[in-house]
Amino acid sequence: MKTRTILFTLIAFTLILTACQPAAGEEISFMVFGDPAELAAYQTLVAAFEQAYPEIRVELIHVPGQADYRNRLAADMVAGTPADVVLINYRRYGAFAQSGALEPLGPYLAKSSLIQESDFYVEAVEPFKWLNELMCIPQNISSLVVYYNRDLFDQAGVPYPANDWTWEDFLAAAQALTQDLDNDGRTDQFGVGIEASLIRLAPFVWQAGGQVVDYDANPSTLTLDSTTAIQAAEFFFSLQTVHHVAPSLDEETAEDSESRFINGRTAMFFNSRRGVPTYRESAAFAWDVAPLPRGKTQAGILHADAYCLPSASKHKDAAWTFIEFANSTEGQTIVAASGRTVPSLISVANSPAFLDPSAKPANSRVFLDTIPYIHALPVHFNWIEIEDIASDELWRGFYGQTDTLDALQRAIQRTRIYFTENE
Amino acid sequence: MNSLARSRRLQPYLFLTPYLMGALLLVVLPAGVSFVIAFTRYSGMGRPVFVGWQNFQWVKSDLLFWVALINSLLYILQAVPLRILGALGLALLYSRPGRATGLYRAAIYLPTVIPDTAYALVWTWILNPFYGPLNPALRTLGLPAPSWLSDSAWALPAIVLASLFQIGEGFVILLAGLRHIPRETYDAARVDGANRWQTFTAITLPLLGPWLVLLSVRDVVLSFQSTFTPAYIMTRGGPYYATHFTPLHIYETAFDGMHFGEAAAVMLMVFIVTIILVVILYNLVEGWGFDED
Amino acid sequence: MKISRLPKTLVSLALTGLFILPLFWMISASLRQPGLPPPRGIEWIPSPLVLSNYARIFDILPFGRYLLNSAITTAIGVALTLATASLAGFGMSLLGKRARLRLLVLSAALQMIPVTALWLTRFLLLAWIGQTNSRLALVAPAIMGSSPLFILLFYWTFRRVDPAVVESAKLDGASLLQIWWKIALPLARPALMAVGMLSFLFYWNDFISPLLYLRSQTLYTLPVGLLQLQEMDKTNWPLLMAASVVMTLPAVGVFAALQRALLWWDGEEYPEGASHQAFGKNAKKWFLFQIGRTPFRKVRRTSEGR
Repeated sequence: MKTRTILFTLIAFTLILTACQPAAGEEISFMVFGDPAELAAYQTLVAAFEQAYPEIRVELIHVPGQADYRNRLAADMVAGTPADVVLINYRRYGAFAQSGALEPLGPYLAKSSLIQESDFYVEAVEPFKWLNELMCIPQNISSLVVYYNRDLFDQAGVPYPANDWTWEDFLAAAQALTQDLDNDGRTDQFGVGIEASLIRLAPFVWQAGGQVVDYDANPSTLTLDSTTAIQAAEFFFSLQTVHHVAPSLDEETAEDSESRFINGRTAMFFNSRRGVPTYRESAAFAWDVAPLPRGKTQAGILHADAYCLPSASKHKDAAWTFIEFANSTEGQTIVAASGRTVPSLISVANSPAFLDPSAKPANSRVFLDTIPYIHALPVHFNWIEIEDIASDELWRGFYGQTDTLDALQRAIQRTRIYFTENE
Repeated sequence: MNSLARSRRLQPYLFLTPYLMGALLLVVLPAGVSFVIAFTRYSGMGRPVFVGWQNFQWVKSDLLFWVALINSLLYILQAVPLRILGALGLALLYSRPGRATGLYRAAIYLPTVIPDTAYALVWTWILNPFYGPLNPALRTLGLPAPSWLSDSAWALPAIVLASLFQIGEGFVILLAGLRHIPRETYDAARVDGANRWQTFTAITLPLLGPWLVLLSVRDVVLSFQSTFTPAYIMTRGGPYYATHFTPLHIYETAFDGMHFGEAAAVMLMVFIVTIILVVILYNLVEGWGFDED
Repeated sequence: MKISRLPKTLVSLALTGLFILPLFWMISASLRQPGLPPPRGIEWIPSPLVLSNYARIFDILPFGRYLLNSAITTAIGVALTLATASLAGFGMSLLGKRARLRLLVLSAALQMIPVTALWLTRFLLLAWIGQTNSRLALVAPAIMGSSPLFILLFYWTFRRVDPAVVESAKLDGASLLQIWWKIALPLARPALMAVGMLSFLFYWNDFISPLLYLRSQTLYTLPVGLLQLQEMDKTNWPLLMAASVVMTLPAVGVFAALQRALLWWDGEEYPEGASHQAFGKNAKKWFLFQIGRTPFRKVRRTSEGR
């Protein structure tokens, strides 16, 4: 008898729960990825937007990991239920643009009275043009820089990175900062933390005078086997394999380099602007940013994300209103203040919201100084798969599981089919 | 009378409707759709385009598909025998009630209760070469302490190792199997002067044989799905594809590469392999004289 | 006799320790202070012990919400499963022999198909009817009783219902539905509890469905929450372990409440001796028909430590 009562209660409970549907209304969803500290920036943005446009409510969807974000986005696009506004990197929107899943935003921008194309850095806008049509509105013009722990530099008596430092300077600093503090034969403090991936290697290739792909506009293969690219890869891999200034695979698995950096046990960490909110919150030491060291030439790599509007959205106008607001001076100022972005609006990038010397990193100007030398990876519908596979091979090179040439050649060989495969 | 009789005959099916409908909607229909999608190019958006056997050709030439298949087979070859042996040994040890047997049985079942995600995470910690407790323990015992999840040669065995603790189901099933062996058989053996080992090989093992075979087949089939969570959480298929298993391959092909056609083709193959196993199993079971009443 | 038992007791204690270790280390690591360098040797109990990791996970992610969602999803899943599985089991017990055999074979086949072979197209089907981002997607398997095993468990129980009782109820004008509710179900308490527990674990632990289907954070369940936490900082072990403990304890609790019944096959002492014998015979069939999950009997142990 008692069991039946429980069963009945459960069923009744079920019916009540399934009967509760969310209330309808002009509500849009906005999906972002990032660390908790980055999330705060978007929460502020949404709050400001809802105040300016009380008739629209925004549901913020937060996916912490980039890989999960990407799967989530793909699954949602297929399900036909993507968020109304999504943040997508320029390396990733190609697949969606190709299959018509994104609403071109050029026409919307042309009609806007709040923002226009010329307000933005052209370097950030161009990659988001698919067949000459602007698909998404870039939120930032972030690029790769070197975050460094000033305290560790001071302790080791190493001068801070100069704005024109070279690969040699960088390696020397890394070596001086790699230390076995308790003499137990195990390195406790590393000079460098860098991800073994194509997007990290690419700027070194450009600095050496090489190219990542044959034709930027219409690539057909990776070109990582040129003499210059090999030189760059040799240098890149040698950080781990020869000089051991970066953690070995075991050490990286035990504790990743970003955690080591935050915990004060790695002196220099390569990351884009997105690390700033987290480091402001969690790093208990003095830190700053430096430009990438120079090779033969100076080169940086674009890390721009943009607000995109999926064509499956049922609230396109409201979604555009949000995108427009987020990319207005007010919106970009809010997000920039969190430290998350290098604003894509020229005016905001040059304002105190970004350059405020009292906010870390003091040397934010580095990001703007890099812009004239910035390179972008190609936009291609299969780019993410290409990058993944290439990175898997580069990973082997970086951790000394194969020699440089083999890693590069396998990367080229394995990705070739993805350049042409028509899907 | 006639209509009454018919309604009587149909009534049981009324009770079975949700189950049969569910099976139709959740198993038969998806299987049918896979069958169609496998012959199309489909990014999940837009319309599928019929391409004939192209996806199967792509799959055949896809290095990662073969890597995934081989890894899955390696996993099965290592995990299934060890899991069955473990469950068997433990079931033999605790088949008879004794002091604290309840506690021991509960302890053995405990890891099986831990949710897969949490279980994968705790093993990532245990296996961590610097922080985790396993390697210091191995070193204390004078055993080699590999880098486990970051070593291509050890990542797959590490996942096998973790799976060896989640054998509660096999354990309970074999306990049931042992209970099924009549006491008198053992008594007779004892009267004949058989020692323990002889009793085991002459009575227990043959009588338990069908159970063991079935348990193995089930474990083989389920490993097509049970490897997903550990691979996803612990290694993401790495290092360098060492734990890239079939389910992960399907997931990544579909949701990372958005190649639903290819993914469906792989799925179809898994499905067919499963069906073959089921048919073999069914014939085996019939061979053992299954009778419903 | 006592001496010969000693080695076995030692082995048992060692095994018990071994199988408890994963949970022990989960708890121990959850009490470690984040950011500390690696310990030297095995760290059984971290020093200093901190509880703050538990507070922190609720701080950086809406874990309270996830807990609630997991509870709701599990409750729906369990309730639906109990209803559909017991209905189907009852229906099966009413079938003629041949139809029943066919159904048994079908159930066995269904039980063998890995979700992997279906998930993609299940996803597409749910997408086409616009139900991916919903709880329905998570509890959909409950429509078919979650697992054919559950139906079989009910079937074996209902088969033992005395046909004479059913006939006399029919003569009294009771419908089959009433018979199911008033006569069959009260007799099926062990099966209800068995299926209840196993389906609890099924929905509580489910990682793949929410990973595939859910977009809205307001619907996320604990397994996805765990993944989120891992993505945020994949080597922050204390936080990850704290979240794992939060997710594991309810499952362990349910198990602890019911484990005796699950793990005790102490047939001779079963109060309804005769009906137990029937189950004993069924055990083989039940297993032969492939059987994903665990059998379960509510057994009162009348003689302790025989």
